[in-house]
Amino acid sequence: MSQPTSAQTDTKPSGVAQIARVVDRERRTLARTRTFVILGVGFAAIVLGLAWSSGGTSGGYVPTVVGLLTPLELLVPVLAVAFGYRAITGDAERGELDVLSTYPIGAHHHVLGVYLGRAIGLLVVVFVSLLLVAIAIVFLRTEPVGWYASHASTDSPILFARFTLLTAFFALTILAIAIAVSAVAREARTVIVLAVTALVVVLVGLDLALVYGFASGIIGDGSLLHAIAFSPLSAYRGLVFESVVITAAGTGPQTASVPSSVFGLLVWTVGSLVVATLATKR
Amino acid sequence: MTTRAHTDENAPERDAQPTTDESKTDSAGDADTDPLVTADEIDFAYGTVSVLENVSVAIKPARITALIGPNGVGKTTLLRALAGLASPTAGSISYDGPDTVRPIGYLPQNPAFRPGFTALETLEFYASLVGEDDPHARLERVGLAAAADRRVEALSGGMTQLLGIAQATIGDPPLIALDEPASGLDPGMTTHVFEVATELAATGTAVLLTSHDLDLVERTADEVIFLDDGGVADQGSPSALSDRYEADSLWETYERALTGDLHTIHVRGDSP
Repeated sequence: MSQPTSAQTDTKPSGVAQIARVVDRERRTLARTRTFVILGVGFAAIVLGLAWSSGGTSGGYVPTVVGLLTPLELLVPVLAVAFGYRAITGDAERGELDVLSTYPIGAHHHVLGVYLGRAIGLLVVVFVSLLLVAIAIVFLRTEPVGWYASHASTDSPILFARFTLLTAFFALTILAIAIAVSAVAREARTVIVLAVTALVVVLVGLDLALVYGFASGIIGDGSLLHAIAFSPLSAYRGLVFESVVITAAGTGPQTASVPSSVFGLLVWTVGSLVVATLATKR
Repeated sequence: MTTRAHTDENAPERDAQPTTDESKTDSAGDADTDPLVTADEIDFAYGTVSVLENVSVAIKPARITALIGPNGVGKTTLLRALAGLASPTAGSISYDGPDTVRPIGYLPQNPAFRPGFTALETLEFYASLVGEDDPHARLERVGLAAAADRRVEALSGGMTQLLGIAQATIGDPPLIALDEPASGLDPGMTTHVFEVATELAATGTAVLLTSHDLDLVERTADEVIFLDDGGVADQGSPSALSDRYEADSLWETYERALTGDLHTIHVRGDSP
């Protein structure tokens, strides 16, 4: 056995290069794991089926958004958590997290690489699913009926694209939470419990807290629009209403503060990644 | 029993020398090189359970140092502490080796790798983190080149161990810590793993390993550290230890150096 020659350079790769390597590893993991492929295809099929069965596709873009919003409030968090909750736990269980700690890669670079890599797969699923819905609308759309008939001129694919971007933003936020759960848990049993808990908190808990805060007077009337940004789900819902539904309707009561909602989602995203980094450093 | 390690702080600084037969037969060879990693009076506890107390050891380059002791005595804990993967609750651990891109390589007990990737792809990922561009050389080095394109989940236990060792060598770290590198392997593969460790030491690498295979440790290790009852029972070259205990083999030395019943698991921390 001889010492490998010319296999090593003296300078370690830059942080960006290391992130890119981790991103590539995560991306290939998603592509090669049948579960994620099935999950993506299933999500697309469900979204397409929901859009078609609700009659939204024949009504136009905005009716489809209205029909899909509530199901996506449930489906997107489930999908995002499924994509992220074992991302770091798996490495920890195999001992690869310990191995990685002997390499010159910072925890923040590792976590960011994992997040971005998983995000690529998640975004592909979300964008492709909603693109299929948009294509279905193009072919199935008939004359608008009912309430939206008077606003047919504002039923634009641009609004649907806006809805798609907001849904992607929401998915990325929940993915960051899932990555944080994955980093904190470190064990299979713990991560399942924490992931379910996180889902319940995001889907129900925070909204209930807002309702309680409003009912008990802790949240005043004037601050409600900003306070709902505290919940990622409410922030997403508020953004969709403000940016898509009310825009199409042309009028209506303000349902959320757009800056506060965007800020809320960003805080959840960045905060979760910080938690994941600190947990990975342990 | 807890004893201090036989460190030689006044030894002159010299270049790392390949392992020689003399170094295995005479612990006076300890003075040849300065320690790469030094643990100074470290304690280690998991909550209220004390595992190690007042342990001092020195790991030197170009040598195979074996941590030996009964199950649960703290071999893995000490190895992880020396590898910088766990912080002692008291005392200090210092690394005095060269400033390299990866100072310490590590093979965990029962190594596993992310499924869906081949052996070569796995090494490519790790190698890319230190700027290496020829991970295939690492596979060749441990004799695993033929399995380069096999997915890690299809590797045998021995192949996985070898892949783990190849991973541990990436970046040519001055210290490589191998936690039971031959665990669960057949005799032939076990021998091969120790041969790899010997060849690593011959290139100047400090190899720190844990093992229960006293026969192979006796044949390959330059330094043996007996752990017992939370501390270092004794340490030295296999031959020096055998002389000290007037034993014919490392196994006999082990029996005489360690206190208590070797057929019973000792649990530390439960008694007052």
